[in-house]
This record gives sequence, C-alpha cells and structure tokens, in this order.
Amino acid sequence: MSKRVLIVEDDAELGAQIVKRLKDAGYEPSWWREGRRLHPGALPDVALVILDIMLPGAYGLDMLKDLRGFSEVPVLVLSARNDTADKVRALKLGADDYMTKPFWPEELVERVAARLRRPMMQRSEIIEAGNLRIDRTSREVTRGGERVELTRVELDLLVALAQRPGAAVTRRSLAERVLDPERDGNERTLDVHVSRLRKKLGPGVCIETVWGIGYRLSPGPGP
Amino acid sequence: MRLRLRLAVTAAAVMLPVTLALFWFDAATQHRAAQQILIEYTLSRTSADRQGCEAAPERWGGALSPMDPPFREPPPRNKMEGQAPRGPPPDEPPQSRMEGPLPHGPPPDEGHGPPPRGAFPPPPSERRPRARPAVLFAYDEARRSANPAAPAMPAALAAEIAQGDVARTSFVWPTSEVEVLVRTPWGTGPCAFVLARGTTDPAWGAILPETQVWLLPVVAVLLAVLLAMGPVIRRIRRLTEAARRSASLSYASDVAIGGGDEIAELAAAFDAARREIRAQLEEKDRREKALRDFVANTTHDVMVPLAVLQGHLATLRERAAEGGPHDAAAVVSAMNEAHYMASLVHNLTAAARLQAAEVTLQPSRVDLGALVERVIGRHRPIARQLDVSLEIAVPDEPLIISADVTLIEQAVSNVTYNAVRYNHPGGHVALVLERDGASFTLRVIDDGPGIAAEALSRLVERGYRGDEARTRAPGGQGLGLHIAFRAAELHGFAMTLKPSEHGGLEVTLSGPAPPPDSG
Repeated sequence: MSKRVLIVEDDAELGAQIVKRLKDAGYEPSWWREGRRLHPGALPDVALVILDIMLPGAYGLDMLKDLRGFSEVPVLVLSARNDTADKVRALKLGADDYMTKPFWPEELVERVAARLRRPMMQRSEIIEAGNLRIDRTSREVTRGGERVELTRVELDLLVALAQRPGAAVTRRSLAERVLDPERDGNERTLDVHVSRLRKKLGPGVCIETVWGIGYRLSPGPGP
Repeated sequence: MRLRLRLAVTAAAVMLPVTLALFWFDAATQHRAAQQILIEYTLSRTSADRQGCEAAPERWGGALSPMDPPFREPPPRNKMEGQAPRGPPPDEPPQSRMEGPLPHGPPPDEGHGPPPRGAFPPPPSERRPRARPAVLFAYDEARRSANPAAPAMPAALAAEIAQGDVARTSFVWPTSEVEVLVRTPWGTGPCAFVLARGTTDPAWGAILPETQVWLLPVVAVLLAVLLAMGPVIRRIRRLTEAARRSASLSYASDVAIGGGDEIAELAAAFDAARREIRAQLEEKDRREKALRDFVANTTHDVMVPLAVLQGHLATLRERAAEGGPHDAAAVVSAMNEAHYMASLVHNLTAAARLQAAEVTLQPSRVDLGALVERVIGRHRPIARQLDVSLEIAVPDEPLIISADVTLIEQAVSNVTYNAVRYNHPGGHVALVLERDGASFTLRVIDDGPGIAAEALSRLVERGYRGDEARTRAPGGQGLGLHIAFRAAELHGFAMTLKPSEHGGLEVTLSGPAPPPDSG
C-alpha cells in the first residue's frame, strides 16, 4: 500500500512538525502550504490527504468538494475552530474524519495509520490473526500450522475476538455471544473459558485482559 | 410637511375643484334657464308683434325692454307655453334697466305690487349683474335682416335652425351672454327668424344661493377642522417629547400620555416598546458583565497552567544548560499542562455557547463509536505519559445517534479527561459504548481516587447548577463536568455519576439510539 500522504496546511511550524512526524513514522509526506482549487490530475497519487479547512487561497471545504468530485482518497480534516457546522459540513462533503487543533503528533500519526489500515473487521470464513488460522466452516483452528482442539464455547470465543484483532470486546457482549445462559452460566464462567483457551493456544497467542472491559486478541506479528 | 399644513392643503385640494364644479354647474343651469326664457320671450314677443315686424322690418328689433321672465317655479322647462310676455313694451325707457327684474319677482312695471314670494327687492348696489334687456332682430327666409343694425346671422345658429325650430349656442364655458335663434310660428316673410340676445340672471335656474354667504359655513368647517387639530398636535408633541426624554435616559422613564384616545394608545404602545428595549438593554448589560467576568476568570484559568508550563520549560532549559539528566517528570508535567489548557479552551468555547439565553443545538447524524475513538485518540498520548491505561470498547455495528457533535464530544472528552487527569500512575480508564435495544449507554469507568459520597452529590449538584462550576475544587472537575451535564441535558440524555466497582468513578451517559435498520 502506498504510504504517500498529502498535507495541506498553511502554518509553517505546524506543517513542518506534521511532515517530520509522518516521515518518522515511515510515510512519504508532501506538503502544500496553501489551498488550491483541485481538478482531476492536479492531485498527486496519495493514499491519504490531511486538509486544514481554514486556508488562504482556496477554502479547505471547497478543496474537499473539488476532491470528492473525482477521488475517493481518505481525507482527514484539521480544524482550529471547534465548530459543529464546520465538522458537519466537512463530513457531509465526504471527509472521513476530523481532528480539532491542538492535537498531539502521535495522535495524528495513529489516526493516519488507523485510516489506512481499514477495514479491520474480518467477516470471511477464514480468519487469520498472527500465526493463528481459524476456519469457521470446518471449525478448525491451527496455530503455526498445528491443529488446536477447542470446545464449542472456546472456538466461538476465539472467533469473536479474532474478528476484530486489537479491539477490546466487553465481557458482556462475549458472554451474550458465546454462552448459553441456561447451560454455560454467566460472565464469571467466561473467565474460566478464557483461561482454558489461553492455555490451549499457548504463549504464541496473546489474549489480553482489558481493564474495565473484557478481552482482546492482541495483534500478533504478521505472517 | 406639518400635520396642520398637510390637513389644510388636503382640504383645499378637495374643496377647490368641488366648489369650482359647483359654480360651473350653477352657471350652466342659469345659462340653460336664460336660454329657455329668452326663447319663450322671443316667441311671445314676435307673435304679438307680427304686424309691427312685417310692416317695418327695417326698424323692428334692437334692444327691447328688460327681460320679463315668465313667472314660474321652477324656472321654465316647457317651452311654448304661450304665456304672453308681461314685460314692458319694447320702447320702455332704459332707466328701468337699473332696477332689473326682481328675483322671482314681478317685472319692473308691476314693481309696485307685492313680491309674489315675499322676496325683498335687491339693493340698488346689487353686486351681481341683472339680466340686460333682450335684443331681437328679425331675419327673412334667406336669413337676411332688413334692419341695418342687425348682425349677420351666426353661422352655427343658422346651421342648427335648419334642423328644428330653435337654435341655441352650444356652450362649454357658460358666460352670461345668451344667444338663441327662433323660427317664428309662421316661418315666412321678413320675420321668418328672430335672433335674440340676452344675458343670464342670477335669479333664474340657480342652484346656489344668490348671495355667497353659503361659502361661510364651508370656510368655517375648514377652520374648525384646523382648530380641532390643535389639541391633537399638542398631544402628539408631548408624546414626541416623552419618547425623546425616555430615549435620552436609556429608556428608564415612562412614555405616558393620559386619556383614552388613539394617541394615548400610541403612547402605551411606545411604552411597551420602551419596556422591551429596557429589558433587552438590561439583559445585554447582564451578559456583558457575565462575559467580562468570564474573560477575567478564563484569563486566570489559562494563566495558571501557562505559568506552570513556563516553570517546567524553564526547569528543562536549566537542566539542559547544566548538561544534567533529562527530567522526564517535568516534561510530562509540561505536556499535561498544555493538554489541560487545550481542554480548558475548548470548554470555554463550549461554555460561551451554553451561556446563551437560548442554546441552539446543531444536531446531525453522529457515529458515536467514531466519536469515542476520537476522544480516546485525543487523550491517549497524555494518558500514556501519565501512565494511565486508556481502553475502549465499541460495538461491531456503527452506533448512530442524532446530536450536536461538538457538544457531545466535548462532554465525553471532559468526563474522560477528568478520569485520566485525576487518576494515579498505573491507573485505568475504560470507555465502554454499548447498544441496548433502541438506546445507547456510554460508561466511563476509572479506578482513580474516586469522590466521597457527599462530595459527589455536591459535585453533581454544582454540575447541574453551574455557578461555582468554574472553581477548580474539588479537583478542578467543575467546569468540564458542568458542560457535560448541560450538553446531556440539552440533548435529553441522562448522565449519572456513581462510585465505580473498581473504586473510582463511573459516569454513564445514555440516550436514544434508533436501531440501525430503521436508519
């Protein structure tokens, strides 16, 4: 995936900071110091646009409108005015997300990464997370190619977590999803199932306990 | 234009044409009556004196006697009534002309008799001229007169007599001169036609009284109207004065005019407007004062973290200059203060919006999951520095609600930031968003120091009340929490605070969320 990012920001200091941060994070930023009206072909081949909506030259929202006329590239809008109308307009015009100034640089980098990572949700019949491979049809789980035997509840639990790797899932929603209240009990029982599942999967797969929420399958090293 | 002048001009503009039309109509009626009388007089006179005329046509005619109108009321309309002229003979000495016929009275030669309708004879110096004696001339069938004194027959009359027995001068502007041409009953010989000239008489056919006293009441009415305007104008001036005085006193004094007329009503309306303006001014003053206080307090609120930040930066610079070890704690504190200031400024913006007399929400479709992620994204960097874990759980499906995105985001942000800021290193904060049928629940749980029960109720109360909400105690949560409460309240969402099962605080925000399939 291309890691080129276009930044449209008129403030020299802030623009330079963003460029440096994105470079450090492994992106290839290009920086426009002023807004300009866009037409097809004027936009460099980028994976994401960071657009300040208060710009000299062309108003940021006009640029967004131009851009949406010919491109579906994700747009992250920056706004200094914490104003509802601005945000609603930006989202209506097709912005994917917005950030209100001031923000921490790492927040911006995380948002860019999150935007480029999507979609996260895995709906297919084969779910892969790290060295884990789950076949939902045959209900088979392999870890590093090795088959792992799981009970029905344990498998459902793993699927529920693996569908959104890295995202915390509440104990309540896990219990509702995998436990039969008449047979398997309540949220307390869930902890027992999780502890068994952890043992079966071994140290290679990390099911984290998330404070106040429930569990999360931490994203393992990529295949 | 002044009221009185306007009234006078309007009255004059209406009365003048009406009066002129009246005069014209009067003159026209007189003219018609005089013509009729002249025709009848001519006919009777000619019939009576046919022999005299035919015997000596070259001498017949000329000024005859003062006109002798047939006495009929109203003035004659039917011609040829055959009434014999009762006027004096043609050779009547002209001195009687001065006297003229009496209005509706007998002819001069019968002047000694009592007037038929009790009219008094006009004074000799009668202003309006009386009818002159008629002047007759006879013409033969060739329309020529044997009398050398006779004028040529007017062409218009000659043309008209061909159509009938009588020809009148058509008139546009009635003058006192009357001219008719009459075909004699026999219609042959030297006296086939008779041209008669005469004048109108004010007594004949007039519709206006002869004396112009009638103009007096008309003028009197006009004057009365203008005079009646006097008190009205005075009252209006008093009202103007009262309104000006009130305006010069910032609308503090009444605008009142006694009485029950329209001007009193106008004054009452002015007074109602004045009270409204006064109320608005007071509201504006109150808001200005609130704004001044707000700016003063805000300045204080921002200056304190700014001073702390400057202190940290100075420490860092001194350490760097000394080549001492990197002071991580100072950096974190500096970051924390900067973060606090950002949050404070956002809250001040929100508070300014919420302080308006009528807060207008700008609701739109808000993806609550994305909103919660944005809030987490904003505070996570600082939470990391403070060594507070910040976790989030959102449902699989997008949870869309209708809300003012800025206010709700600020509310969630405030509650989250309070949980992070007042936590201890190694502490936890979790945001859990869940859908429950047609409603959403967002819980912000922490394991921070929590708030004692009575302090909690005080905080909630303060959060609702808003006054004192700005004070930092306890723990500076005041303003942020107040904004969160206000935002929730405006949206009709429920916001509750209670001790969390983990020892800290649990803040719950819940409200309606239409099921995804219903849009």
